[in-house]
Amino acid sequence: MKWGNDLSTFVEKFRQYLKPGYYDEFDYHWTMTIDLDRCTGCEACVVACQAENNLPIVGEKRYAQNREIKWIRIERYWEGEYPDVKMGFIPMLCQHCDAAPCEIACPVFATYHNQDGLNTQIYNRCIGTRTCAVYCPYEVRYFNWFTYTWDEPLEQQLNPDVTVREKGVMEKCTFCIQRIRLAKDNAKDDDRRRVRDGEVVPACVQSCPTEAMAFGDSNDPEAKVSKMMKNPRGYTVLEELNTTPSIVYLKKAHAES
Amino acid sequence: MQFIGAGSLGVAGGVLYGESVQKDVELLIPQVVPPEDYSPGVASWYNTVCNQCSAGCGISVRIREGKAKKIEGNPVHPVSQGRLCARGQAGLNVLYNPDRIRSPLQNATSRESGSFTEISWDEALTTIGSRIGRLRIEGNASRVRLLTGSTRGGLDELFAQFMSLLGSDHYQQYDFTDPGALRAANRIAFGMDQLPHYDIKHADYLLSFGADYLATWLSPVHYSLAYGHLRQGRDGQRGRTVQIEPRMSLSGAAADEWIAARPGTEGLLALGLAHELLRAGSYTGSDRDEWASALQPYSPAMVAAETDVSVDTIVRIAREFAESTASLAIAGGATAAGTNAVASVVAVNALNYLAGNLNQPGGIFFNPDPAFSAAAGSRQVGMQGMLDLAEAMEAGDVEVLIVHDSNPVHALPENVRFRQAMENVPLVVALSSFHDETTDMADLILPTNTYLESWGDDVPDPGVGFPVASISQPVVAPLYDTLPVGDIVLALARRIGGELPIRMPWGTMEEFIKARWRDEYDGRTAGLEGQDFDAFWQASLEAGVWGQPGIVAGDPSMPSSAAMIAALANPVSEFAGDESDYPFVLHPYLTATFLDGRGANLPWLQELPDPMTSVVYGSWAELNPATAEDLGIREGDVLEVETPAGSVSVPALIFPALRPGVVAMPIGQGHTAYGRYARNRGANPMDLVSMQIDDRSGDLAWAATRARVRNTGERLQIIKTDGVTRTLGRQILGPKNDHA
Amino acid sequence: MFDHGQPSYAEVNKDILSVMLETGPRYWMLLGTTMSVAVIFFFMPWFYQLIVGVGAAGMSRNAYWGTYLSNFIFWIGLSHSGTLLSAILHITNSPWRKSVYRSAEAMTLFSLMTAALFVMVHLGRVWFVHWSFPIPNQMGLWPNFRSPLMFDVMAITTYLTASSIFIYMGSVPDFAAVRDASTGTRRRLYTIFSFGWRGTAREWHTLGWAYTFFAVFVIPLAVSVHSIVSWDFALSIVPGLHHTIFAPYFVCGAIYSGTAGIVTVMYCLRKFLNFERYIGQVHLDNLGKLLLALSLIWSYINMLELFSSWYGGSSFELEALKFKLTGFYAPLYWEMILFCAFVPLLMFFRKFRWSWNKMLLISILINIGMLTERFIIVATSQPRKFLPNAFGFYFPSWIEISITIGSFAIFATMFLIFIKWVPAISIYEVKETLKPLRRDA
Ligand SMILES: Nc1nc2c(c(=O)[nH]1)N[C@H]1C(S)=C(S)[C@@H](COP(=O)(O)OP(=O)(O)OC[C@H]3O[C@@H](n4cnc5c(=O)[nH]c(N)nc54)[C@H](O)[C@@H]3O)O[C@H]1N2
Ligand SMILES: Nc1nc2c(c(=O)[nH]1)N[C@H]1C(S)=C(S)[C@@H](COP(=O)(O)OP(=O)(O)OC[C@H]3O[C@@H](n4cnc5c(=O)[nH]c(N)nc54)[C@H](O)[C@@H]3O)O[C@H]1N2
Ligand code: SF4
Ligand code: SF4
Ligand code: SF4
Ligand code: SF4
Ligand code: SF4
Repeated sequence: MKWGNDLSTFVEKFRQYLKPGYYDEFDYHWTMTIDLDRCTGCEACVVACQAENNLPIVGEKRYAQNREIKWIRIERYWEGEYPDVKMGFIPMLCQHCDAAPCEIACPVFATYHNQDGLNTQIYNRCIGTRTCAVYCPYEVRYFNWFTYTWDEPLEQQLNPDVTVREKGVMEKCTFCIQRIRLAKDNAKDDDRRRVRDGEVVPACVQSCPTEAMAFGDSNDPEAKVSKMMKNPRGYTVLEELNTTPSIVYLKKAHAES
Repeated sequence: MQFIGAGSLGVAGGVLYGESVQKDVELLIPQVVPPEDYSPGVASWYNTVCNQCSAGCGISVRIREGKAKKIEGNPVHPVSQGRLCARGQAGLNVLYNPDRIRSPLQNATSRESGSFTEISWDEALTTIGSRIGRLRIEGNASRVRLLTGSTRGGLDELFAQFMSLLGSDHYQQYDFTDPGALRAANRIAFGMDQLPHYDIKHADYLLSFGADYLATWLSPVHYSLAYGHLRQGRDGQRGRTVQIEPRMSLSGAAADEWIAARPGTEGLLALGLAHELLRAGSYTGSDRDEWASALQPYSPAMVAAETDVSVDTIVRIAREFAESTASLAIAGGATAAGTNAVASVVAVNALNYLAGNLNQPGGIFFNPDPAFSAAAGSRQVGMQGMLDLAEAMEAGDVEVLIVHDSNPVHALPENVRFRQAMENVPLVVALSSFHDETTDMADLILPTNTYLESWGDDVPDPGVGFPVASISQPVVAPLYDTLPVGDIVLALARRIGGELPIRMPWGTMEEFIKARWRDEYDGRTAGLEGQDFDAFWQASLEAGVWGQPGIVAGDPSMPSSAAMIAALANPVSEFAGDESDYPFVLHPYLTATFLDGRGANLPWLQELPDPMTSVVYGSWAELNPATAEDLGIREGDVLEVETPAGSVSVPALIFPALRPGVVAMPIGQGHTAYGRYARNRGANPMDLVSMQIDDRSGDLAWAATRARVRNTGERLQIIKTDGVTRTLGRQILGPKNDHA
Repeated sequence: MFDHGQPSYAEVNKDILSVMLETGPRYWMLLGTTMSVAVIFFFMPWFYQLIVGVGAAGMSRNAYWGTYLSNFIFWIGLSHSGTLLSAILHITNSPWRKSVYRSAEAMTLFSLMTAALFVMVHLGRVWFVHWSFPIPNQMGLWPNFRSPLMFDVMAITTYLTASSIFIYMGSVPDFAAVRDASTGTRRRLYTIFSFGWRGTAREWHTLGWAYTFFAVFVIPLAVSVHSIVSWDFALSIVPGLHHTIFAPYFVCGAIYSGTAGIVTVMYCLRKFLNFERYIGQVHLDNLGKLLLALSLIWSYINMLELFSSWYGGSSFELEALKFKLTGFYAPLYWEMILFCAFVPLLMFFRKFRWSWNKMLLISILINIGMLTERFIIVATSQPRKFLPNAFGFYFPSWIEISITIGSFAIFATMFLIFIKWVPAISIYEVKETLKPLRRDA
């Protein structure tokens, strides 16, 4: 009898373990859509993220060693040969995978799933094994190979809502969690239970001059992202890996002619 | 800190001790009596104007504890609509740049030495004021020259008043990115000095002749927004774009079709399209016959042979262009930088005229009712004006040269010899925030506030289809012992004396701007009923912008076609250099990151991968893969690129979307000064450009030089983020598309 | 059994203990050399890296794991033969084990420790390494037991503990022998080490029983350790790493390199400590056969790995495979195949198995090949993951190379110290193999 109970508790626990981040259901499910038919590869989002999230200026030498830190980067893909040559851009940032390979990697829980469906990174907890980065199929994790400093007085620009990381820790896109937090605080101050659609705008989404990106809670069927996700052009990158990303790309449309 | 002068060890020790204590006690708020709008931990946003290019985007700056933290687009500004480009975001690197000039400087010894000593503002202003004052009294005011970049709005007005009160008509502007050919052609075709509003947003067929409207042309953020809308902003309707240019730009990458016509023949292609459009009977205006006879020589067959674009393509594009409800043709980039640039743009204008795109949604709107009357760009002198200035300097006709926001020593081709000409000017005054190449040649440097610390106003040009004016305001207190440019001008006026301080009575730029807006307000009270000036001012200041969206395009009448027809000419560009000696065409291009090089001192931009190539920190020369293979050139081989005007050495980059026979080089690097991030990095392709000028605009034909390349055998690592730029069949850009 | 005639008990004691009790200048010079090399090549660069950050090494966003981790696997692998072999041979009662196993077990211990050092060197913030242990803390935060790195921590600490106990247990009678042969402080020390061993029948019985128990216990542990280490890779989904075969592949490779390591160590013992009488042709021949068998298994698994990568037809796997076989590191790959698959085939010939010098050469080549194998695993898979745009390259920096060299010196240092503290050959077990005794013993 007792054994049976224990077993069912165990099975229950185990089931729980199989769920993304062990949650039955996310409070919010922050999701981003990126319309590649709008995206021009202008990289405004890249600088926006750098400004918002205190990304370091690594310098020429370290850039040459591929030690740059860009939480969002634009990948370029050529198709065809001259003169029938085409260029495809795709912004690549942490996909906040529901089944995140990086999360099983981390021995110390420095990266884990939070209640909002975000893949979070706890800098203080990270011991720098870099396993998460090896496991991440999107290669969007960036490591602090050094402690980066800012030439005086560039440090005055640093965003006080975001920490500055030291050598030896991993970092990556947070979906601008500080902005999510602010929106939640504001909602609470207004006696609202939930954040409204459009209230959270990550820095990259905010800046995008072609309005290629949308961000919101895909648990809310009325949210803009929920509608965008239904677009027939929608897909997720490396779908075959079953990471269930929280970023839905809308494929570039091609001119019919 | 003046105590240090006392020199005794004890005092110095005391000061050092004080310094170290101050370092330890990091105050949350660095003021004794903080301004009342400082609320620790709470961000405030101030609206002002971006100054990183001439588009005039409205920006909002996030301030925490008195420090600027982030720049975003001003959501209520009609140009940027809350969005911003990479350069605009990097404005914080201007403000907090470690290489800013922190106090007035005087040349220590010789111009060449580049070493400066600190002096006081009083000393500096007195030196300049008395010298100019003397010239004014002697009636030699015309020996004072003022050169600025693309100064607009209140500051431009202030400079103009200053110079005219002084009695010198030598206030000129030079900005490499100024669309001189566009202005000249529009003047000819449309009789319009001001740039029109290009309504890309509502177009459904955009034909761009070399204009990289998504990155560098006129108003990149505004057009990017428009592009997004053109593509996916309308249900069930997706606009189409075609880009004609020898080297794929960002706009070319976005286009549905990229056509690498033979360099210098893009205008001719426009005429061929016009010819075909007319032949197909798409144009039915009363002046049809005049057009037909003017366009008669440009048959598709003839144009195809010249441009290397097939007859089929010409016929098809002409049909698509004519059949689209809202088509639009624009010109810029290399198309507007040949020896016959104006003719090329006129040809594109003709195309718009014939397709009925004028004053139509999705077409071109004329915008004759700007806020404030000064027509922008009117003081741009182009290359001819700069040659004249250099000549005057060389001849000893210039005694005082004041330079602000312009870097001719770097921007002009080497053979203008601007640097050498500066040697002949007894007093060069630079109003500048940075030690760029020109500033370093100055005798006196008056350090200016950056745009984020200054008052000003601006009328965007091109506009947005209705009157708009923006206000610049300081978003943070000045960091150093610097002054706003406007305040310097006013201070100089006071030192020079005479009529100047009487006619320019404002104590500060802020007062001047406010007065200017009061005038504008008074002139427009009809439209601003029910609001007194203070309320209007306050509202404009908070919004950072004022506009009248209701009022669209004052003059909907069609421009006459006669001038256009008369101005039609075979717009094929002449190239400097003989084809047999110089088998390549040199294609310099503006980059999305540095524009003409003004962004090169900003670390965020140096570290921003070039959007098309992903290269950072350096410059390069692009070759078509097949060409490179023929020449046995691999990426990273150092090439000597040589033209009749000069030669530079840069590493080779293989670029798939480049017409064979063209060598493309980004503009922007190659600084010999301009701070730690820019100095001694890459090469400046301007050093390769032969001095050829399009007579009709006076502008430099910077895309009309031939070149040859030689593999030096050396190698240099090109730093870039791209690994392999082919998808290798992986479904990264989407599930296998049905159109592939 | 003995090449140079059977020694007496006294001679056994004398031969083996003399190594411990008599220390000449040559020893000190050797020790001095290895220690200096360890400090200069390993600890000083590491110290530098601690100050500037792991960026001192050559890793980048193209390969977050590099030489440190490949060396870690190499050393873990090297550790395998010792305890494992000793245990298996003990259970199967192979008499030739007896003169080999002590050093082999020591090798296990020291290579495990060297491996652990590489984990430290690898970490970005080694000063927080204790967070990866399940130590109760006020935050109530445990390590992530889903992480293969946690499996590692568990497996390696268990293996290290078990191996330490195993070697210690087997050494107790010998410690007693040392105690009996020495005076003064050493005697007092070894009295403690030997737990007051007197050699009664009951003691022998208990030891035999416990030893056998541990031997049985250690075998699955050894298999699990390298399986688990392989899962650090195989549990990722990285092409070239995400292979089912990895666990047996790693275990086999580990025993393979470990056995080759033993040959090297035995050669040194024989050569430098004059153990010719105890380590003879029989040992060499048997080890040679074992090595040969392992090399065949290893080659077979390697072919399987290549085959399944190719046969699977996944574009990701194929690209990684192509990079491995034809990319920048292809020469290294083919070097590995030559050293680990082809060279060992020479051991089919008795001529090679019976020659100390030839066997030494073969075993060293095998270990060079195995060091390369680990390097290739990390250096050719990570730079070819899923997004071609993020493809890149990894090349170790001088610091990584220096630390790799230094690690051998650390290992050697530990070994040199070991032979002065523990009889390098099991005295009592060697005695067990002697024929019935002459009276004078
Ligand atoms: N209800 C409640 N009470 C608490 C606590 C709590 O959590 N809840 N926390 C307790 C704890 S842990 C602490 S440390 C104390 C803190 O208590 P206090 O020390 O009183 O801290 P504050 O109220 O944050 O700040 C004190 C004042 O310093 C001013 N100030 C800010 N910057 C400067 C500056 O640069 N110079 C000068 N001269 N003044 C400056 C602020 O405007 C403010 O008026 O409160 C304790 N009391
Ligand atoms: N914006 C802002 N930030 C500040 C300050 C500020 O004034 N304003 N003050 C600064 C100062 S002086 C301080 S001391 C820090 C304080 O910063 P924190 O240490 O973060 O302080 P709290 O938020 O008060 O408490 C932390 C958490 O402890 C939980 N808690 C309460 N009792 C217990 C308990 O018995 N056990 C456990 N495990 N948890 C408990 C609370 O529910 C809360 O979630 O903040 C600093 N940061
Ligand atoms: S800002 Fe927008 S358009 Fe530009 S690269 Fe980023 S997603 Fe694409
Ligand atoms: S994209 Fe990479 S880092 Fe982000 S959640 Fe997925 S696996 Fe983790
Ligand atoms: S690098 Fe940090 S976050 Fe990543 S697995 Fe290691 S400890 Fe976890
Ligand atoms: S969501 Fe925020 S953190 Fe993530 S890429 Fe965008 S700006 Fe950076
Ligand atoms: S387009 Fe020009 S004005 Fe607008 S944000 Fe970019 S740099 Fe600034």
